[in-house]
Amino acid sequence: MRKSLLRPLIFLAMLVFVAGPGKAAAAAPAADGAAKADLLASVQPASPNGTGSKLSEVDELKDRRVGVLQGSAHVEYVEKTWPRATLLQYNTPADLLLAVKTGKVDAALSDAEPLRAMLRQDKTLGMLGGSLFSFPEGVGFGKENTVLLDQFNQFLARLQQSGIHADMVDRWMEKNIIDMPTIANSGSNGELVVGISDGSLPFVAIKDNRLIGFEIELSERFGAYLGKKVRFSQIDFSGLIAAAATGKVDMIIAAIFITDERRQSINFSDPYYEEATRVFGLKKNIAAYGTSITDSDSGVPFFTRVAASFHSNIIREKRYLLLWEGLKATVLISILATILGTVLGALICYMRMARQSVLNVPARVYISVLRGLPVLVLLMFIFYVAFASVNVDPLLVAVIAFGLNFAAYAAEIFRSGIEGIDRGQTEAGIAMGFGRFSTFIHIVLPQTVQRILPVYRGEFISLVKMTSIVGYIAVQDLTKAGDIIRSRTFDAFFPLVVVAVLYFLISWVLMLALEYVERSTDPQRRREQAVRQ
Amino acid sequence: MIKVEHLSKSYGDLCVLRDVSAEIRKGEVVSIIGPSGTGKSTFLRCLNLLEHPSSGSIHVDGVDILDRKADITKVRQKMNMVFQSFNLFAHLSALENLTIGPVKLKGMDRHAAEAKALDLLRLVGVAEKADRYPNELSGGQQQRVAIARCLAMDPEIILFDEPTSALDPTMVSEVLSVMRRLAKDGMTMAVVTHEMEFACDVSNRVFYMDEGQIYEEGTPQEIFGNPKKEKTRAFVNRIRSYNYRIVSPDFDRYAMNAEIEAFCEKHILPRDTRHNLMLAIEEILEFYKPDLRSGPLDLAVTYSEKTEALEAAFERSGEWPNPLESDLQPDDLGLRIVKGVSEAVDYQVAGGRSRLVVRIGKE
Repeated sequence: MRKSLLRPLIFLAMLVFVAGPGKAAAAAPAADGAAKADLLASVQPASPNGTGSKLSEVDELKDRRVGVLQGSAHVEYVEKTWPRATLLQYNTPADLLLAVKTGKVDAALSDAEPLRAMLRQDKTLGMLGGSLFSFPEGVGFGKENTVLLDQFNQFLARLQQSGIHADMVDRWMEKNIIDMPTIANSGSNGELVVGISDGSLPFVAIKDNRLIGFEIELSERFGAYLGKKVRFSQIDFSGLIAAAATGKVDMIIAAIFITDERRQSINFSDPYYEEATRVFGLKKNIAAYGTSITDSDSGVPFFTRVAASFHSNIIREKRYLLLWEGLKATVLISILATILGTVLGALICYMRMARQSVLNVPARVYISVLRGLPVLVLLMFIFYVAFASVNVDPLLVAVIAFGLNFAAYAAEIFRSGIEGIDRGQTEAGIAMGFGRFSTFIHIVLPQTVQRILPVYRGEFISLVKMTSIVGYIAVQDLTKAGDIIRSRTFDAFFPLVVVAVLYFLISWVLMLALEYVERSTDPQRRREQAVRQ
Repeated sequence: MIKVEHLSKSYGDLCVLRDVSAEIRKGEVVSIIGPSGTGKSTFLRCLNLLEHPSSGSIHVDGVDILDRKADITKVRQKMNMVFQSFNLFAHLSALENLTIGPVKLKGMDRHAAEAKALDLLRLVGVAEKADRYPNELSGGQQQRVAIARCLAMDPEIILFDEPTSALDPTMVSEVLSVMRRLAKDGMTMAVVTHEMEFACDVSNRVFYMDEGQIYEEGTPQEIFGNPKKEKTRAFVNRIRSYNYRIVSPDFDRYAMNAEIEAFCEKHILPRDTRHNLMLAIEEILEFYKPDLRSGPLDLAVTYSEKTEALEAAFERSGEWPNPLESDLQPDDLGLRIVKGVSEAVDYQVAGGRSRLVVRIGKE
């Protein structure tokens, strides 16, 4: 047993060793900075025009690969301004950053404020040119929710008059003070659900497992103004508008530019900030920074850097709590969905095997539809369509979606298991005097369980991994926790590695547990164990 | 204790049982024999409603089991079954196979059930393997455990569905001896079997089934010693036959000879015997030659695997004199040859048909 425990651990250690230092490509012995820069450069695929030359002005992006945040106003800008550029869209700012750092894009567009915060932390990044354009940012509301919209506009006007707004801008944007002031809130008027997206400082971030940022403070102040307790719901940026339009959340605030297109779906408040858009990329790809860029990491021993990454990504601001919460969500969804899926699967299997077409046909349809539908689509469908007007915990939606999906596969697994049992077993039970049902319970089922467990186990493990998409409906699972950390620390790799390791550990532990069940239900092994004791 | 009346069973257009009536009395051992595919197993499986009859009635101890109100599971508990493929519960040890019924169905105490199960396993000689699983037992052992499993339910009758057909020849006798012992102890048994010796020695009555009916029924002495019907006789003597109809003098003699040779080879007849058979047929056909235009002549070559008797029969309609005694033959050489190669020659004229039978000695 000890040996089998050790082996995966060694594997894990190797994984961390290879990918650990934050910059996978930089894992070479740190001889000198120049050698390392070469190494980094060699990982980058050549840009489409084949020149790979340094960028000196923004317009050179016209035939390059440009990264943008999916669903942002930047998409439209790039499409209009540089139609020949390769446009690559990313879901989160963290992904966008990762794309820049790994050379998947030559440069990326970003809101100026978060970019400033990012650049403070990561010395390899630099800006290209000046501001492209600026847009007013507003809070979004569902079309029906005009009362709340008016209340917000009054609140904002008051905030600006009293000078609190100016103070907020000064603290978050200019002075980079990242502490939340205490805001008194009676919370007696109910709840205000605010949709946010994991942006980055200064707007939204997580520190000490708490949400902080300009927009968080603004929301909290608005909540206090209304006397409502604020509940934040994390949603991918591209899903925000839908969440507001369908009433999933009361309002959305995520540095959203007020555009005419968006006005068609939702109402916007008066602008609370005017945001510029800037271009950024790796310094060594930007001519303005010259050639003498040295990576601050070079010369630092490998293990020191791993330790530093570990500290900044896991320990600082209690980020391990984020991971722990995410871990719990992932395990909870997996287990509950499996239970739901198993029960439902048994029912579907019963219907599928029934002779009456009233039962049999719906089961067939269910199985083929659910198996032919991507889980992500199912998940979004249930969240935004089926439960559109109901305030439902996204965790529950995830359990339902994965449970429904699992049921379709489980039903077929059960059926093949049951059909694989020799008819003679049933006949012998019936001839002995068992009824049809008790024959199934006492004779067929125990043999089926034994037979299907290996396949079932595989299906379960793949379900665990499949749950990594629940971030789309604002569930903070393990993957999402990793994304949040990435968006806060701007360390592209380390959180990914940690998340990968954690997924592996979950799967491995759950696999061992199921293997144990499998062994304990195998009668022949059970006897051997009894003999040994 | 079981009374079957006008039982029929069809699968769609295929009629497997037609109008079967029979009775099995307490303490009786009834063997059901007959060629494959004549409804023997279906008949047995109708008795405990593993197959639902299309029509007819079945009474067990006076209870009409086809009545919707009848509790068939209760009836089955006293009428257990042994299957051709054993059907031991694969996830249970031999002992557990015996205890599951009494414990779950009769609410018997587990310890009492286990003690009884061990006794029964001892009775069938597999007590040593009590904690083994079915896949760890030989076929013969599995079938004996299956019999013990039936006994564990204290049945009033056991239905055996070809209990030895799936066994290696070496294991048949161990199962049969257990069955003999049960019969001696007075267990009521209905046995579908191909073991003629068992059917003959052990049973009180034998049903010969053919064409979906109980074709002939009687004591083993009647069925095996003096069967009344032709098909029964052919079956119990394991008679194999080859038939050929000659319709004109120009029939394909070579094709017929080749087929007779193939028949002889199939039944492993010695070369000399085959030669004598061919010679006798050829010479006798010479005698028939002048009459072949006047109507068809049926040739039947039969061989009994039991008595090893080889016969050639020539039959035609009409009452004819014995061709072997005709004066038309130019010489008596043919007749001498026929008499030389055959053990006996018999000529009968009855019911408007004339029949000549020659028995060829086996050397």
